[in-house]
This record gives sequence, structure tokens and C-alpha cells, in this order.
Amino acid sequence: MAKIELKHISKKFKDETIIQDLNLTIKDGSFTVLVGPSGCGKSTTLRMIAGLEKASGGEIWIGGECVNDTAPGLRDVAMVFQNYALYPTMSVRGNIEFGLKNRGVAKSEREALVNDISEIVGLKPHLDKKPQSLSGGQRQRVALARAMVKKPKVFILDEPLSNLDAKLRNQMRTELIQLHRRLGTTFVYVTHDQVEAMSMGDEIVVMNGGVIQQAESPLKLYHDPANLFTAQFIGTPAMNMMNIRDVRGLGLTAGEQVGFVGFRPEQAHIQEAGMIGDGYKLEGEIITRESLGAENIYQIQSRTGIFFVKTFLEPLVEDAQVTVVVPYDQLYYFAPNGERLRGISARAAGGNVT
Amino acid sequence: MKAVNRRVSVSGLGSAMGELPSGTGTGTVRKQALLNRTVRYALQAVNYAGLLLLVLVFALPFAWMMSTSLKTLPETMIFPPEWIPRSPVWQNYADAWNTGPFLHYFTNSIIIAAGILILQLATIIPAAYAFARYKFAGSGFLFGIVMVTLMIPAQLIFLPVYLELSAWKLLNTHLGLVLPFASSAFGIFLLRQAFMQVSDELVEAGRLDQASEWKIIVHIMVPLAKPVLVTFMLFSFIAHWNDYFWPLVMTTNETARTLPIGIAKIREVEGVATWNTLMAGNLILVAPILVVFFFSQRQIIRAFVYNGVK
Amino acid sequence: MTTAWDKLRPYGMVAPAIIIFSLFFIYPIFYMIYLSLFDWNFVSPTKSFVGIQNFRDLLTDADFRKVLSNTTIYTIMTVTLTTVLALLLALWLNRKGILHGFVQGAIFSPHIISLVSISLLWSWLMDPEYGLMNWVIGLFGFGKLAWLSHPGTSLISLVIVAVWKGVGYNTLVFIAGLQSIPGDIYEAAALDRSKPWTTFMKLILPMLSPTIFFLVIINMLGSFQVFETIAIMTQGGPINSTNTLVYYIYENGFRFFKIGYASAAGVILLGIVGVLTLVYFRLLSKRVHYR
Repeated sequence: MAKIELKHISKKFKDETIIQDLNLTIKDGSFTVLVGPSGCGKSTTLRMIAGLEKASGGEIWIGGECVNDTAPGLRDVAMVFQNYALYPTMSVRGNIEFGLKNRGVAKSEREALVNDISEIVGLKPHLDKKPQSLSGGQRQRVALARAMVKKPKVFILDEPLSNLDAKLRNQMRTELIQLHRRLGTTFVYVTHDQVEAMSMGDEIVVMNGGVIQQAESPLKLYHDPANLFTAQFIGTPAMNMMNIRDVRGLGLTAGEQVGFVGFRPEQAHIQEAGMIGDGYKLEGEIITRESLGAENIYQIQSRTGIFFVKTFLEPLVEDAQVTVVVPYDQLYYFAPNGERLRGISARAAGGNVT
Repeated sequence: MKAVNRRVSVSGLGSAMGELPSGTGTGTVRKQALLNRTVRYALQAVNYAGLLLLVLVFALPFAWMMSTSLKTLPETMIFPPEWIPRSPVWQNYADAWNTGPFLHYFTNSIIIAAGILILQLATIIPAAYAFARYKFAGSGFLFGIVMVTLMIPAQLIFLPVYLELSAWKLLNTHLGLVLPFASSAFGIFLLRQAFMQVSDELVEAGRLDQASEWKIIVHIMVPLAKPVLVTFMLFSFIAHWNDYFWPLVMTTNETARTLPIGIAKIREVEGVATWNTLMAGNLILVAPILVVFFFSQRQIIRAFVYNGVK
Repeated sequence: MTTAWDKLRPYGMVAPAIIIFSLFFIYPIFYMIYLSLFDWNFVSPTKSFVGIQNFRDLLTDADFRKVLSNTTIYTIMTVTLTTVLALLLALWLNRKGILHGFVQGAIFSPHIISLVSISLLWSWLMDPEYGLMNWVIGLFGFGKLAWLSHPGTSLISLVIVAVWKGVGYNTLVFIAGLQSIPGDIYEAAALDRSKPWTTFMKLILPMLSPTIFFLVIINMLGSFQVFETIAIMTQGGPINSTNTLVYYIYENGFRFFKIGYASAAGVILLGIVGVLTLVYFRLLSKRVHYR
């Protein structure tokens, strides 16, 4: 178990700077998820922690030890790869014990360890098969077992679920969370899927363009995004965003700083006839309705553009023209540069409602 | 295809003329189909006949070789020739074997072909790994040397190499016949391609498992490249087992001479061409290769054709 | 933890191979070019520098001219016949199944057999008195031919042997080329009602052109260096009708000990091979880029 610290890390590929001055502390025993769009530097960061990629500058500390010059095999980290990277010419047993063999673990001890682990992940009957003859989920378990058997200080997982079908992915997600609870080891997990990040991580690091946008717990991230990027990255559908120029009928304190106003689709209500709600009002035409049964998602064309509204356990709205109300306290404000602005309050601006 | 078209046009005609009974239409179709089938059978017969002829062109010479090897000398001098020897003369094989120190030639052939193969494996595997997996200054230049070597036929430079080996007192030695081929540019080229196809993740997984570079090569790379390696081994062994030119040029006495030289020399033994003995000797040389070919035809063909396709 | 060894390791790994190549392939080329400028009989302790005299002598030597023309005629005939026949055979035999697999194996088999065996076998098949070839052409009503023993037929006889040996290999390379053409192209052509001949000329042949060029060059390189069949079957005769470049170099070097002269001939062969190789290199790099 160990805390991981990245201090002023930078990474260049030839002349291209991927990451510049990245600082991050991953708490001991946490399940930390690095999330962001592809090319945001999350995988590079992960690979630098594993030692597969050398940092161009800065220091990496694992468990109070600077590992900059430590070979990957000696860092006491284990990794689960996106494509599992199982050795195709070795049996399941061979895959699991290869690392132990290289460490010089005695045969009897190896056998005991392999036995224990394969019991946990349910691979006991498959130990002598080749990975190619296993299903996707079983291969995933072999990859996990191979990592676990080394009892590492840190687990590193690089999009490990992206090759599984949806159902299996949900199941493995739960299993990974349970596994983390049981082991209590630090998990560092990379994904591009924000749903995966929200559901698994107890700490989420949102990255974009090689820069950490925000590192928070999932709920904090959702309710209190630090900037436009995080606000729009977390949540499905993404937060609706309006340019301040298009906003009419909204009186703001310190409104001159505001560049964008946003609201979450699930915080808006479609106003029914005769109902009077207080809040920012938008009129528009429903262009699509997606119903998942419990929740409905409307795509609405308004004067300012297309936005989404999500409702729960409500009948599907059949009208074409609707008015959407967003409570004032559910509006988020951002500066033109994307920074979140806090402490701004809103009210209706008289006579200007469209 | 044609039959279908016709049926469409016939039924189209039928409906244009009002509801005619469809009997005439189907009749034409049936006749057409019958004709098609006849043509197809005829074509198939021609095809099989052609295949048979083709096989004969390549098989008859070998059959003739076998037939001759079991004839008496007078029997070989009959024209038109007879295919079946009157009574098989197995003695020819013993005679061929006794025209020279054949056990010695045979041992030399094995030592040289196997020696070359072992040294080649020892040199090409690390080189191919380095070229496939490392970035290092000058790798382009060094790989250039490999590519140039790949293009230089040994036939072209035998004279200077002969002088070289003679200066080092390596003529008429096994080492002299092995050393120039102790590495293979073709092998490096082939294996490098195979190593490059191994996913990076696998090598990284190995590194995280604390495997040394050596262990990564032995436990991950080589097992994955096994088909290519087998291909190369077959190619190399057959090529050097068969080689006549190099041992001919680099030897002046019997010390290191190989089987092909020995067989070719049967012809020079006596003034009269004893074709029966010669063909018996020839079969001794060819048989092992043909047997190996029979059992691993697919792999051998791939080994040689790979050279052409990749 | 980048130690000095980590930096040196790649060089250590390629070193054995590179040393072998340098000693036995790269250096000899320069040595041969050097030798071609000297008059030397291998035994004498001194080499005397003669400049380009060896090349001058070669170009005025009637024998060498004959050798060059023999080699060229042999190459053109062998390459043309092999390639055309192989292409036709490939189009015919490009089918899956045991029968076609067997036939492919049969026509390929001469390729893996020692040239010594093939030369001896064909010397016997082409025996002027009792050879099987005379019996075969007799079936078609032809009289006996002297084959290798007559200057008029000796070179073409060697071409026949070369084609017999090489056509199977060429066919299989063509088949591999044909099979790398994606099947849906044929289907698309069929849907466009392309006639077989049009499909062949407009689609198959162009897509096969890299393979054709490759084989033509490989066959040319091989033919220019023909040695074994000549050494065993004809020794360059009768009356120099089958003397070719490598055999000529071999005789001058090892029979007449004219090392400088033989080296000069070697340099000329190197020039020919070099040009062909350059073309091949360009092709190869293109092919590698495709992947």
C-alpha cells in the first residue's frame, strides 16, 4: 500500500509536449480514476507511474520513495492492460506465475499463491488452458490474477473493461469495486468513460490537454464542477451551455464577468399548462424524445440552439412547443475562459422574457 | 447466371403475350441447363486431364530416375526406353555409396548444414530483436548493411571470399564452409517482421513481471515467432544441404566436401557414364529432402514463397 | 537506471550478425573491385597494378562477348518463359482443395531439390542416345535431338531445365499474390457485368503487377548467376555455346588463375546485379510501405 505523488511531471514526445508541470497526489488505498477524452495524457501519466514511460521532467514518488530511476519490474506495481497482454504461449498458470518466477519465488510457495488467487477469481478449472481458449471475461480475470498474485503496492488498470460487452462490463465493474475493498490497495484506473469513472472511483481526476482540470470525489465533481470542461464532461447528457449573449430575461449580479450559463438536463422542468414555476424560462420545440421507461430525454430546439432535458418517472410530454423552466439556483456560471464563477445570483429581468 | 437471365426474359415474354401456358418456357430452360451441364462436365474433364499432364511433367523425371537406378547398365542403353527394370538391381545403391567416402560426405553435409543453422539462430534472434524493438543511434545504417547483404548473392563474391579464407587457412575446413553463412540477412529480415508484430503491451507486461530482456526474448518473443522460425529453419537447412557451388569452390580435397559434391563426382569416376549408379546416388541425395517435403509440404512451401511475398 | 550496458545492449545484439556480413559480404565487394585493377596469378607474391586494363581486355575478348550474349539470351528466355507460364498456371491452379494442393506441391517440388540432382537427372533425360526426352519428342513424331551436345540446342536445353525447376515456385508466388487480392473485388466486377477477360486485364493484372515485377527481377538475378547446371551439364560447351558469366569467372579464377581478370568480370556482373538490385530495393521499400 502506498501513496503516489507526481511532482512537476512533464512529458515530451520529440518536440511535442504532452504533459507540462503536472502535480497530483493519489491517496494511499484510494480508487483513483484518471478520466478524460482520448489524447488527454491520462494513459501517459499512468504509464509513467508504471515506469513504462520515462518522465521528461519532475519526480514520481511511490510509498515515500522516488522511483524515477527504478525499472518497472522493481516498482512493486502491477498493471492490467487494455488488451490484457496475456502471454499467448503460456498456460493460465504460466501467465500468473511468470512474475513470481522472475522474482525467484520458490516453487511450493508459487503453487500456493496461484491456487489462492485462482480460487478468488474463479479460474481454478482453467489453470492449464491457454488464454486463447478462454472467454473475454475469463481473460480479464487472468489479467487480474496475474496482477494480484504479486501483491503489489499499487494496482494500475488501463481501460481494462473496454473490450468487454456491456453486460459483462457492468459485472466486472462491481467485481473490481469489491476487489478494491477487499485488498485495500491503491488502485489507479484510467478510462475515457465518465460513467465508469463516476461509478467506480472514490477520487476522480479529470484531465484534458495534458492538464488536470479537477480532482475531486465523484459527487463533488458532479455538483460543483470547477470549470466548463468538467461541467460538460461529467453527466449524461452533458450540461447544457448557453453563451451569455443569447441569454435573455436573466438579471445577474456581476453579470459582466459571465461568459457562459449552464444547467444540467435533469434540473430543468417542462412547464405544464397552468403551472407556475420560478426560474429561468426557455421556449422551444421538442425535436426528439428518447424514453428509457424510467427516464425520458428530450432534445429541444430553442432560439439559442439545441439543449437537452431529462425527466424521471414522468409521463412522456407529447406537446410540440414547450416552455422549460430552470430554477435559478441550478444555473452554473462560467467566465469566458471557462473558469467557474461562484456567488452570482439571478432573478428575472422584467419584461424581457421571451 | 446465364440461365437465370434467360428465365427472366422468357417469363417476361410469356406475360407480354398474355397468359400462355408456361410449359414451353420451362422446356427451353431445361434444355439450356442440360447443355450447360454437358459443357461443364466437358470442361471439368479437360481440367482433370490437364492437371494429370502437369503432374506427369514433374513426376515422370523422378520416376525415370528411380527406374534407372534399379537397372543394369545394358538396360539403360535401350531405346525406346523400358520403364520397369527386368529385375531390380539394388546393388547400384551400394555401388554409388562406394564410389567415394560417402559416409564422410554425409557427415560433412550434416555438420555444415546444422552448424550453419545453429549459428544463424544464435546470431539472428538477438539481431532481429534489437532491430525490431530498440531505437538506437546508427540502427538505420546497420540495418542498411543487412539489407545490402540480403541482396548480394554469394555467387558474386566467391573469388574474394576464397582469397580471404585461404589467407586465414580456412579452406578445406568445416569452419570455412560455415562461417560465411553464420548469420542470415534473410532470417533477420523475416524475424524482425515477426517481432515487430508482437504487441508492445506484451513486452511491457513482461517488464512489469520483472523479466529481463533475455527472458522476454526466450519466453515471450521466440514462442510467438515459432512459425516464422520453423519456416526459416527449413529454408536454411534445405538451402545449405543442397548447396553445391560453395563447397565446390572452397574445397580442394575431401576433408570438408559434402554430399552434392560427392554425387556430382560419381560422373567423373569412370569414362563411360554409368547412369544407373549415378541415378542411385542421386536418389540418395534427393530422398531425404523429398521425404521431408512430403511430410511438411505446407510449411516448406510457405518458407520459400514467403521469401517472395513479404 | 539506464546503465552503460542498457545503451550498449542493442549494439551487442546486432554485432555478431553485422561482423559476419561485413567480413563475408561487404568487404569482399570492395576487395574484388580492388583486385580487378591488378594483374595477379594467385601464386606470385606481387600484384602488379594495371588500372582498367583488365576491363579493356575483357571488352575486346571475343570469348567474353560470347559469354555476355549467352548470359543475356539465357536470361531473357528463362525469365520470359518462367513468368508467363507461371502466371497462366497460377490462374488455372488458384483453387482450394486437396487435388489442387497436390498439383501445386508436385510442380513446386523441383525447387527444393539440389541443383546437382536436377542437373544430373536432366543430363540423363537429355542423353542424345538413350534419353527419355528423345522418346517423348519421338511420340510427337520428331527425330532424336542432341540436346546439350549440340551448340544449336545446348542453351535452350539449359533454359528448359531452368524453367522446369523454377516455374512451380513462381506459380505459387503468383497464387499467393492472387489470393491477397480481396475477393469482393471479383464480386464487384461480376455485379458490374465485367467480362472475364476485362476483369483480368483491368483488375487482376494491375493488382498483380508488384508480384510480376518482383518475380521478373528475382528470376533475372538468378539467371544472371547461373552456374550449377552449366558446371555439371555442359562445362560451358560445346564450343562455348553455354558459357555464362559466373562460370567464366570461375574458370578464369580457378582454372587459369587470372585473379585480376576474373575479378574484373566479377565487377561487371556486380554492376548488372547492382542495377537490378536497386530496382528491386525500390520495389521492396514500396511493398513494405503498403503494409
